[in-house]
Amino acid sequence: MDRAVELLDGLPPMGAAFARALVPSRAAEVHLPAHAVRVEGIRQDPDRYAEYSRVCGYTLRDTVPATWIHVLTFPLHVALLGDRRSTVRLVGAVHTANVMTMRRAVGVDEPLSLQVHLENLRPHARGALLDLVGRAEVDGETVWEGVSTYLASGAHVPGEPGASSHEPWEPVAPVARWRLAADLGRRYRRVSQDPNPIHTSRVAARAFGFARPIIHGMWTHARAMAALEGRLPEAHRAEAAFVRPVLLPATVGLAVSPNDEGLRLAVTTKDGAKPHVIMGTGPAR
Amino acid sequence: MVHTVVVVGGNRIPFAKAGGPYARASNHDMLTAALDGLVARAGLAGERIGEVAGGAVLKHPNDFNLTREAVLSSALAPETPACDLQQACATGLETTMYLANKIALGQLSSGIAAGVDSASDAPITVSDPLRRILLKASRARTPQQRIAAFAKVRPAHLAPQAPRVAEPRTGLSMGEHQAVTTARWDISREAQDELAAASHHKLAAAWERGFFDDLVTPYLGTTRDAVLRPDTSVEKLAALKPAFGGPEGTMTAGNSTPLSDGAAAVLLATEEWAAEHHLTPWARIVDAEVAAVDHPGGADLLLAPVGATGRLLARQGLTVDDIDLFEIHEAFASTVLATRKAWQDADYCASLGLDGPLGAFPDHKLNVTGSSLAAGHPFAATGARIVPTLAKLLHERGPGSRGLISICAAGGQGLVAILEAV
Repeated sequence: MDRAVELLDGLPPMGAAFARALVPSRAAEVHLPAHAVRVEGIRQDPDRYAEYSRVCGYTLRDTVPATWIHVLTFPLHVALLGDRRSTVRLVGAVHTANVMTMRRAVGVDEPLSLQVHLENLRPHARGALLDLVGRAEVDGETVWEGVSTYLASGAHVPGEPGASSHEPWEPVAPVARWRLAADLGRRYRRVSQDPNPIHTSRVAARAFGFARPIIHGMWTHARAMAALEGRLPEAHRAEAAFVRPVLLPATVGLAVSPNDEGLRLAVTTKDGAKPHVIMGTGPAR
Repeated sequence: MVHTVVVVGGNRIPFAKAGGPYARASNHDMLTAALDGLVARAGLAGERIGEVAGGAVLKHPNDFNLTREAVLSSALAPETPACDLQQACATGLETTMYLANKIALGQLSSGIAAGVDSASDAPITVSDPLRRILLKASRARTPQQRIAAFAKVRPAHLAPQAPRVAEPRTGLSMGEHQAVTTARWDISREAQDELAAASHHKLAAAWERGFFDDLVTPYLGTTRDAVLRPDTSVEKLAALKPAFGGPEGTMTAGNSTPLSDGAAAVLLATEEWAAEHHLTPWARIVDAEVAAVDHPGGADLLLAPVGATGRLLARQGLTVDDIDLFEIHEAFASTVLATRKAWQDADYCASLGLDGPLGAFPDHKLNVTGSSLAAGHPFAATGARIVPTLAKLLHERGPGSRGLISICAAGGQGLVAILEAV
């Protein structure tokens, strides 16, 4: 499908777009912007990348992890959801799933062109699901692809909700225990630049129904990927389902088991009884 | 040795001055980068290596398993065991000998010896009294006991303690110790500056001819040793003010090694393992000897390798004339110059119990691709920089070529090893 591409001068600042994306829409029908937003030749900030690696537990390397490129595309997510033509707002939108593919190792010194569009609006029992589809290119070569699925609570889309794809959860024995400090949301905000106060402010968290701030799902995803570094081939795929938020401070577990093509990971409650994030990794397809 | 131990490769990241391009990197990050570069070049991804031995001189307490953690972050198989060793500036050579000895005994068929140091990310600790108070508070069973413990904290306790490159027994820095030796052995400023300039020029020439193409992988945008000054000269070095030995001192920032960041690794194996992995053996590890001097009894702190060299050559039935290349670690230019003088000093050698002076060797055999003054000196990495460098140089010269490595270390210690091209 030919899609109009809006070329931006640079990564949009998230403050204003984020504020717009927080304003609830009164439109009865769900509308999504059909165009893609794109930025070209973005230079990665080595200092911010080093700090990102530190906060997420990655070894500081010349090649960057898939989750870092996701972070770089995030301002484009906000720009699309903050667009006037979008009736889906970040308010009440929950990041429920994420799939990323690294096509090859990407150097921190490589300028990236990033493009994101919205698609696949579909009904869900509690609202509507939609995908933010992104890709990163180096000199026209696609090196990274990402699909972030959001649930827009309360939004109505005609049709029958698809069946939940989650396998039933069996309690596991965690192989790791992480202690997440109360200020982790603040530390991750500095490197991800995600200004959502739900991750840093108790008041904001309460307003959205959480007793305490919740850590960003993409931090948890990144931390689990960091625990596995060295095991993933350079071209790999990582899927994550964000099942249950982690309230800060927290102690969580990590369970790892082999699956058909790689490793299955789960960030769980301390005892492994309930999942927070369920992940799968394997070679890129 | 029962099994022949060969050096089949090496890898390091370019070295850099502290606070430079690796200011944000930890020992773990740099050691992993050095290992992964070696793994990539030698085709060892997913391979179980017999053992990895590494170490750092400036080490954070939570890095107690530094090398094993770096292995787990690397592309090596997670079943690769590792251990941490530390012998100050001799660490990278001591890890080499630790693994070489195991391979020689048949306990291993492959190993990676490594060293890393970050002077940028050095651990800062709390003062001793504060540490004791914190430990007491953590053992307290009641809030009252905890409050009582914390009540003993005084403002002076709160100053953080940066690590010092000083001898615990003397409080003198390495440079201050070497300044005593420099004066005692009458080492001139000119000779030191000449040696320093030559080190830069030789290292620059080695980079130019591509010698390091299969010994170094870039890291964080740095592709060559960042300490290296190809355009330095004796004249430029002569303009520098003394850094050690007072206003009349001859040791400057130009003829002393800077505080550095970097990591290096050496791949060691049996000849059979090397053949199975289609790797070319460069040189075999012949023998090594470690030594120490009477410290702080007044001996020259950085001349401990002299006694080790004499005993090692004697044990192998060799003389200085049988050695084709000498790698004498340039902790300071004057260390190398004093070492060479000491080798020729009959009284000094006799005082060490040696049969006679070791003798002299021509300048063109010394540090032919430069050494620590030009490359930089991340303490524990230096030995693991020199071993593959010398092994490759000997391999270029042809079978039977011999090289000797001499490294001085804190505490009045030294380690010396002989390699021979195969």
